[in-house]
Amino acid sequence: MKKKNHPLLGIHSFLMMAFIYVPIIMIIIYSFNDTRLSGNWEGFTLDWYVSLFENRHVMEALMNSLTVAVISTVVSTLLGTAAALSLRNMGRKGRSGMNGLLYLPVIIPDIIMGLSLLVLFSQLNMPLGKTTVIIAHITFSLSYVYVVVTARLSGMGKQLDEAAQDLGATPWQTFRHVTLPQIAPGIISGALIAFTLSLDDFMVSFFVAGPSSTTLPIYIYAQVKRGISPEINALCTLLILVSITLILLAQYILNRGNGQKKHKTLPI
Amino acid sequence: MNKSRWTRLLMAGMVAVLSVGLLAACGSDKETLHIYSWADNFDPEVLKDFEEKFDVKVTYDNYANNEDLLAKIKAGGSGYDLIQPSDYMVKTMIESELLEPLEMNNIPNFVNITDTFKDPSYDPGNKYSIVYTSGVTGIAYNKKYVKDEIKSWGDLWNPEYKGKVLLLDDNREMIGMALKKQGKSNSSKDEAEIIAASDELKTLLPNVLAFDTDNIKQKMIQEEGWIATVWSGDAAFIAAENPDVAYVVPEEGATIFSDNYAIPKGAKNKELAEKFINFMLEPEVSAKNYEFIGYSNPNTKAMEFHSEEYRANTMINLTEEELRRTEWLDNVGDSLSIYDRLWTELKSGR
Amino acid sequence: MRKSRFLLTPVLLWLSLFLIVPMLIVVGISFLSRDSLGNIVFSFSLEGYKTFFDPLYLGIYWDTLVLSLLTTVICLLVSYPLAYYIANASPRIQTWGLILITVPFWINFLIRTYAWVLLLRTQGVVNSLLLWVGWIDEPIQMLYTYGAVLLGMVYNFIPFMVLPIYVALEQMDKRLLDAASDLGASRWKAFRHITLPQSKSGIMTGAVLVYVSTSGMFVVTDILGGAKSSMISNIIQSQFLGARNWPFGAALSVIFVATSLVLILLFNRAMQARHQRVGEGR
Repeated sequence: MKKKNHPLLGIHSFLMMAFIYVPIIMIIIYSFNDTRLSGNWEGFTLDWYVSLFENRHVMEALMNSLTVAVISTVVSTLLGTAAALSLRNMGRKGRSGMNGLLYLPVIIPDIIMGLSLLVLFSQLNMPLGKTTVIIAHITFSLSYVYVVVTARLSGMGKQLDEAAQDLGATPWQTFRHVTLPQIAPGIISGALIAFTLSLDDFMVSFFVAGPSSTTLPIYIYAQVKRGISPEINALCTLLILVSITLILLAQYILNRGNGQKKHKTLPI
Repeated sequence: MNKSRWTRLLMAGMVAVLSVGLLAACGSDKETLHIYSWADNFDPEVLKDFEEKFDVKVTYDNYANNEDLLAKIKAGGSGYDLIQPSDYMVKTMIESELLEPLEMNNIPNFVNITDTFKDPSYDPGNKYSIVYTSGVTGIAYNKKYVKDEIKSWGDLWNPEYKGKVLLLDDNREMIGMALKKQGKSNSSKDEAEIIAASDELKTLLPNVLAFDTDNIKQKMIQEEGWIATVWSGDAAFIAAENPDVAYVVPEEGATIFSDNYAIPKGAKNKELAEKFINFMLEPEVSAKNYEFIGYSNPNTKAMEFHSEEYRANTMINLTEEELRRTEWLDNVGDSLSIYDRLWTELKSGR
Repeated sequence: MRKSRFLLTPVLLWLSLFLIVPMLIVVGISFLSRDSLGNIVFSFSLEGYKTFFDPLYLGIYWDTLVLSLLTTVICLLVSYPLAYYIANASPRIQTWGLILITVPFWINFLIRTYAWVLLLRTQGVVNSLLLWVGWIDEPIQMLYTYGAVLLGMVYNFIPFMVLPIYVALEQMDKRLLDAASDLGASRWKAFRHITLPQSKSGIMTGAVLVYVSTSGMFVVTDILGGAKSSMISNIIQSQFLGARNWPFGAALSVIFVATSLVLILLFNRAMQARHQRVGEGR
């Protein structure tokens, strides 16, 4: 049986959501504001949405950002999860050493990571570009994935795994049908953090980017000097809308797939 | 919660994500010019004209300040063909041997540049750089709130402007300003002079609302600050949005700066970069470009193609008399660490 | 176990090449000198480390620690109930809650922060609202204050706290709570002795992520704080870029990373010890 949430908790959660979304609503409102630099409301316009699609720099930057975020999220989620799983079976001493190593990318200041990787790449004669940006992003995000998945694993017993193996499941079957479903929320949360970090990173990307690999944050930071164009507000508004629509769609498809075997037991 | 839903969501997500990832773009075989510059520093149409005229491709990446640019070029292998460092950064890069000398035979249009900006002190004989635009750090103020006539740096200290003054977040610019106020060079290497200047700046702190370099424009437009140290080009931006704002080059003198064309050492398409500089110096192209970006144009032959409005703007086109009162920031060598430490001390209020 | 070696190898290789080697370069630089142009000179020097003990930089470091700890505590206090609510809601709300909390942070950091400027400035939304309601007679200066910086920090790191705590709470064995209430334990007691210890790993992870991210942040102090105070990352940044003093910047980074690691380890140990005590008491 599930305990019901206390009403005060509900109110708190609602207020938190409001807190999170207030600035976002400002961004959406200002994407329709008919002025470039002034912070006041000067009238409704759709011009920024039109010029956004004509602005080849923004579009290129957006594509670069998405490509980097998607690839680095996938790779870092795989690597981070693998690390978390294998360290679970390790002795105490080895574990704390590895823990320290895996925490490092979280702790190192961005500029250090960016500059030192830049020095490394230029020593290795690697041309700067999207590849180097992706490598850098994987390096810092895999730690976040590792940390979150480990948090999930540490609260989980090994009894189920052992039971499955006693019942004759191969290691792969055990992993696929027992371990993976249990740690999935951790993996998804880790991937969400990795994706968010990658989309938002400026400093590391800046140093390891090369010709035609300007990401959205680099473009936006560089634009600050002239004043950030409301086109960016329009872009952010679209990003939010598209993400939420895509997720809705995924939900819908998943629910349909699930509906058919709603009453089946856990797939062990 | 149903565990298989999670697994399924996870897998669907991974597949979606991978397929998007595979959409990465492919390259082209055309000769390509890799520009590395400030954001929106060219009229995109002018870049397109260049691509069509010479049947080449232009890529355009951005940095946000000179220091970022230096760190990046210093590490080497950046792959860029054309960069736009400011005056003092040109000098630093020349001294660190990070620039290629320009082949002036490929840039005959260099003659169009006004004499004021030929042979600058930071690059004697224009061996490595050609000016792109320039400006002066002066005072912008909102006449709605500031009733007195502003003509001196000292006016910033007026107690009536308590909590309404905006300063550039830059150690050299601001300590340089205080040095100017005291009648010294803005690039003093004399420790006693620098300390005296920084001490005087400390007395300005009660008036300071914020330190900011890039968003001073917004803060002045939105009337959060009444009076600020700004670059002349930014002043033109502010005045266009908020007509109450005026600009003045203080009588004690001020710092002049420029952004330049330069080619980093090891650039793969050096000749193409020179072709580009020459193209940008064509009078008509030049006028079109500067009309769009709204900065000052050092191209004398381009003036006739400019609009009346552009030519009449006193913040874009400073007078000879105003320019005579200005001084370039020079490299201060080891003294830089004194500037840096004093500035950190000043800002953290210790 | 053979299997675990096999899984660990790619990660180890990756981190050795892209993390350990670059870090060694930084450690190396921290012991070198520089010339007046800022180029590295290959002669041994401890100057960078000595400079750190200047009261000016020590003070800035202290301020950074205090601000980061404050942010972490506030973040934990506001995020825990939210994570708890989501973890105990229906599956549909769980998924939506997670997504609705993360998606806003896909919007660029600078843009988000400037939105706060629009809200907080003297002619901004909040002041106009308060004036209109009549709670204040003239605009309050909210921007460029310590409070604004704190708010910006907490805002930006909420997901880092909510997600790990949610992950821990979601897997909790809820039968324990039923058992507790059957045995007559109050809601608070059940929370204190069952829920809280079980979500320990989430709290720990969240706290570390928020603490570390805050202490490495500097743009918030510039934009919402008017650049009137510096954080250690501002100093590191300016040493590598503006002041061109790489050895000092590298030394600062080494000190920063080392202290953060020690703090995390101590925190880890403290949490573990507490957990054991709670376990014995039960």
